[in-house]
Amino acid sequence: MSLDPTRRYFSPEIEQMPRADIASLRDEKLLGDLIPWAYQRSGLIRETWDAAGVKPDDVTSMDDFHEKVPFIDKDAIRSYRDRHDDPYGGLLCLDPADPTMKGIFSAIFSTSGTTGDPTPAPFAGRGPSMLVREFWELGARPGDHFLHCLFTFRGPSIHDTIRGIGATPVFVDHQPSDIEQLLRFSREFRPTGWYTLSGPLIMMIEEAATRLGIDLQDSFSSYKGVVFAGEPIGPRARARVEAWGLELFVQTSLGDVGAATECREHDGCHMWEDTAYIESLDPEGATPVGDDMRGELVSTTLIDKVAPLVRYRSDDLVRVTRASCACGRTHGRVHTLGRKGDEIIVQGVSVLPGDVWGAVESIDETNGLFQLVRPAREVDTLRLRVGYATEGPGGLSALRVRIEDAVEEAIGIRPDIELVEREVLLRQGPPHKIPRVAKA
Amino acid sequence: MMFATAYEDPPRVWGVGRVIVGDEIVPWPVSEADIDDETEVAAAFLRDLGLGADELVLIVSYLSQAVHVAPFERAAGIVGALYSSADASRFDAFRTASLARQLKPTVVFGVDDAVLDGFDDLGRDPAEVFASVRAVVASGTTARARLACAGVTAGLWLRLGALSAVAYPGETELRYDPTRWQVEAAGNELLLTNLVDRLTRSDRFRTGFRGRVPHPGRIAL
Repeated sequence: MSLDPTRRYFSPEIEQMPRADIASLRDEKLLGDLIPWAYQRSGLIRETWDAAGVKPDDVTSMDDFHEKVPFIDKDAIRSYRDRHDDPYGGLLCLDPADPTMKGIFSAIFSTSGTTGDPTPAPFAGRGPSMLVREFWELGARPGDHFLHCLFTFRGPSIHDTIRGIGATPVFVDHQPSDIEQLLRFSREFRPTGWYTLSGPLIMMIEEAATRLGIDLQDSFSSYKGVVFAGEPIGPRARARVEAWGLELFVQTSLGDVGAATECREHDGCHMWEDTAYIESLDPEGATPVGDDMRGELVSTTLIDKVAPLVRYRSDDLVRVTRASCACGRTHGRVHTLGRKGDEIIVQGVSVLPGDVWGAVESIDETNGLFQLVRPAREVDTLRLRVGYATEGPGGLSALRVRIEDAVEEAIGIRPDIELVEREVLLRQGPPHKIPRVAKA
Repeated sequence: MMFATAYEDPPRVWGVGRVIVGDEIVPWPVSEADIDDETEVAAAFLRDLGLGADELVLIVSYLSQAVHVAPFERAAGIVGALYSSADASRFDAFRTASLARQLKPTVVFGVDDAVLDGFDDLGRDPAEVFASVRAVVASGTTARARLACAGVTAGLWLRLGALSAVAYPGETELRYDPTRWQVEAAGNELLLTNLVDRLTRSDRFRTGFRGRVPHPGRIAL
């Protein structure tokens, strides 16, 4: 089947599905299929449900689901892993030794490990992911080259997805050491799509371009869209990248059951509700919050029968809206605010990394590299560890005062600033992000 | 099973990777057929390294090495095994160590100098990290030597142009499939020619490696 490059959506029948049909599809997949499957095969799900006295037969409606189905979270998965010496944390629903699984259950990938040991993620099947819809939205089309700039531990699905829209991947490492090839391949192959760009990469591209005398607007003129992922992007970094002529499409994790990516309207990240059921709940309880109100993202897969997450409390603070989007897609959107575990209460005021991000990155010398120091959830003083590339006019003392002033103006709290050379922070993270919260 | 959408018109070029000749990086497009063909050879390597059905190989590499690595990933499936992945970078060394502990791989393939530097940063002894691994294969001769110093008798994986050549642990000579590739020494440099169809031809391609060919199928550096 040919792909018509002029069509607006990759999967119009899904992307524009009426809301009532989305709900029917969810009910069919979740209640009729996923729940009994997960209960019968997943040790963690069965253990959690049995402890709550719930059986799949008790869940025949979404009201039942909301009322009766217990939550799981990362701690529960790790606990099961440790208690049962099971690297999959009781989630694996397939037997690798099952002859019928040969060629289907093929690999085990892993999470980034930013907050601890990387968690093994079983992978079954091959072929494009639902990100074909996003790559099409970027503007990439059959016959194009597409910059595949990532890691190995995420598996082959991005490669398959690029080929799924008829484009050809050009492989580049998401590493400082490969920036020159990224610039070179951008000029030589003229890709139209790019997956992914990150904050640290922006910094390194800028420095390489200055060092090599490369015009980034010219080098990047073929791109129609670039996915930015890994962590939030501050307004200053976004402006810098847009000055290169790049249109950014921010992507965020969807509670470990998928990803959500901006459309051309750039007003929240679309979550594909044919693949996941997303709730936004009171972070301290089980009550749903209103549309577009701050809540904790709780995810349930509708399609992953290998290691299904059911009512997984992600720790992500979000705003979720199902209001219609100007792009014409009917699926809801999520705005990521931060992580519940990152929140600091300073003299009664909630502070998340995103609250000070713009203020810190407004100071040129920092490149937006900072950490909240969080020895406890409630503290008397806000402490920030800030990386610097250069000292700037007046030296480090003056730089410290400028950062303190900027943060105080943004949130009304004057912080204590610890300045460190930026490499100290960059060394702490994978190439695409740094831990934004440190215990000490 | 996890994904619903089928391929539509996959392009002829599977991907644009690269080969490295000395300090020069050469973009290298390959086809799906190229990958499939190399998978057969990679499966033989993995079997010889001791990988069996229902076991796991941990492949340590970079995405930029995809055209060399993909055949080994697919070969794991041919053998009936699983594979997992970690980046061959200093930072990601923690992943190699963690997955070696959690997944208990039979073979760890592609450990390079950067990963060993990362082990140093973490205070991890390679012999302890790989204690339960049947075969470790280094990427690069210095990494192999460092592993030997740490008490790990490792094999060797080298990428000579588009060719993957492998020496098994305890062996000095690298192996390759002489029915698919011709390797010859000219002026002490190894030249590579493809004997079966490849999307990008190697015609006495200068690999930048010095060595000799004791007989077809073997390389001595």
